[in-house]
Amino acid sequence: MKKLLAILMCVVMLTCGVAGLAAAEGKTTVNLWYYWENLSHQAELDKIIQGYNGSQDKVEVVASYIPFADFKKQLSIGAAADMLPDIVILDNPDHAAYSAMGIFADITDKVTSWDGLQYYYPGPMNSCMLDGRYYGIPFGSNDLALFYNEDMLAAANVAVPTTWDELTAAAKALTTDKVYGFALSSLQNEEGTFGFLPFLWSTGEDSYHLNSDGGIKALTLYQTLSTEGSLPKEAINWTQGDVMNQFSAGNLAMMVNGTWQIPTMRANITEFKWNVTYIPKDKEYSSDLGGENFAIIASGHVDEAFDFLMYATDPTRLASYIGNFGYIASRSDVASQQYQGDAVMQQFITLMQYAQARGPHPEWPSISDAISTAFNKVITGIATPADAAAEAQAVIDGIVK
Amino acid sequence: MSYLRKLVRSDRIAYLFVAPALCYMLLLVGYPILYNLLLSVQDVTVKNINNGRFSYIGLDNYVRLFTNDVLTTSIVNTLVFTVACIIAQFLIGFLLALFFNRAFRAARFVRGMMMMPWMIPMTVTALMFKFMFSTNVGIVNQALLAAGLIASPIDWLTSPVSAMIAVIAANVWIGIPFNMILLSVGLTTIPAELYESASIDGAGRWQSFRHITLPLLRPTIESVLVLGFIYTFKVFDLVFVMTNCGPVNATQLLSTYSYKLSFSLFKYSEGSAVANVLFVILLAASLVYLKYTYTEEEGM
Repeated sequence: MKKLLAILMCVVMLTCGVAGLAAAEGKTTVNLWYYWENLSHQAELDKIIQGYNGSQDKVEVVASYIPFADFKKQLSIGAAADMLPDIVILDNPDHAAYSAMGIFADITDKVTSWDGLQYYYPGPMNSCMLDGRYYGIPFGSNDLALFYNEDMLAAANVAVPTTWDELTAAAKALTTDKVYGFALSSLQNEEGTFGFLPFLWSTGEDSYHLNSDGGIKALTLYQTLSTEGSLPKEAINWTQGDVMNQFSAGNLAMMVNGTWQIPTMRANITEFKWNVTYIPKDKEYSSDLGGENFAIIASGHVDEAFDFLMYATDPTRLASYIGNFGYIASRSDVASQQYQGDAVMQQFITLMQYAQARGPHPEWPSISDAISTAFNKVITGIATPADAAAEAQAVIDGIVK
Repeated sequence: MSYLRKLVRSDRIAYLFVAPALCYMLLLVGYPILYNLLLSVQDVTVKNINNGRFSYIGLDNYVRLFTNDVLTTSIVNTLVFTVACIIAQFLIGFLLALFFNRAFRAARFVRGMMMMPWMIPMTVTALMFKFMFSTNVGIVNQALLAAGLIASPIDWLTSPVSAMIAVIAANVWIGIPFNMILLSVGLTTIPAELYESASIDGAGRWQSFRHITLPLLRPTIESVLVLGFIYTFKVFDLVFVMTNCGPVNATQLLSTYSYKLSFSLFKYSEGSAVANVLFVILLAASLVYLKYTYTEEEGM
């Protein structure tokens, strides 16, 4: 019995000791969650945080890595269990859903009185909004473009396509028994929807009207590419990374992919020349806006967190790190100075003016699911574009009233 | 002290021994099950998960799910997947167990090697099979083409029926060792004398198998089938990685559909309703298993 008591005492003393140590620091701890698995991204983020922690003695920012696949789950569980951090850096299409959950702080007053706001692109800024209120600040942006293998196009004597007709013709001409003319990630999830939307938007239609002339036309484009054999059916199982690897291996002549692939492609592709351009258009050029936003948790240390956001988004500081992430700054004054003399990245910056944010809608994941189910049905030949569009529209109409 | 002694002598001490396990079960098994039931009759979505303003909507979630095609597709898919896997892996596992039960020199070594599929993490297996069933570079198509069995590559993972065949094949590969090992262990418990006396009485191979091996192996076979059913019915990672439940829900299972509803579409209540459907089916299987083991233990 005495032994047991002694052990218990030790445990109690140890816990008190640890608690005492933490309290003695006197700094407010601000926890931050992010999902970049890339080590260089992690190191860059750490640099920003260390810089901030060293710049003042009131707040200590502590970052934790949560794998992307678990990120949404952790946030949902955290919300239910009241175990959330103070800041999250999250994928921008999910922003509205979490704002609607009420876990993000409404920082409209702080944002509207902030002089940086005027410089931000409308696309990224919109992704932080819900019902006219601000729930975050963009971290950085990326967008989609058409990548093409210059050598293959030259060998087949094919011009860079700018319209859908040119795209289908070029893809067909470039397809051989070893090479597919064109591919893009068509997974039945957000990643697939991300690639499809520029085509839908290019017809002048918005994300919520798939059963329209434009929506059916966009689905028919996928059908044509698939039935003519220029778009591999396997694209429905390819992530954007898989598509990039196929392109790098010389198995694809053209692909739709994003800014963040550039560093890897530059390191890996030595055999051929490639370039990027606008995604071929129906009526108008379009691109899809990707990227991350900062959001502050409502139940956390909101003022301290906002102070860190002001530090991290300071234009000079932003300019010093955003390129290292392979991102385009979400504000025009910084973005216009980025990637000087880099024609490929300049093309992506040009495309930013056509880039739209998905949603924002609190039930965007369900809408996105309906859209990606539709083009999966079309690519696999399970349904015609008109039927797939009608089925998706029925789901979307049940959500967007 | 005398109270303690009395307690130890009485039957009531038994309750004390059971108590830790019971507490554990109530807390870590019972509570989640009850909570999940409760969740499935509420309307918890993204909009109200944080403010706690849920209302009870009775069986609305179940009605909505059963009137939409995806749940029925998932149930059918799960049953097809499970039954096909069980039959294939049991038969192959049984044949291998019988084969390795014969004492030849490499038997132990090869039997050990056969455990490999079981030791490889499921995600790795799934990725491996995803590559193998790839339309253009996959070894399955290459082999079939080279053998002249098919004229053009099969879209294994991108056509509904063949995608199901592919995930079943992958799961059978994983399930064979489990069946083989349990059946092997069962075979070693059958005394060799029985076979000897049977052969003296003039029984052939088939008769020994039919009248000695099968009846004595019955308890093992029942366990293997029921446990196999439970393991296979709740498979998740293999299908999630290999086909992402596609093409267009062709390999959507109850487990993956529940996950998708809860964590991709944020419809927590509908997700838990699907989990409950899965739970009820598994509960039925467990009860069958318990009934068998119970009657056997009583019979002993």
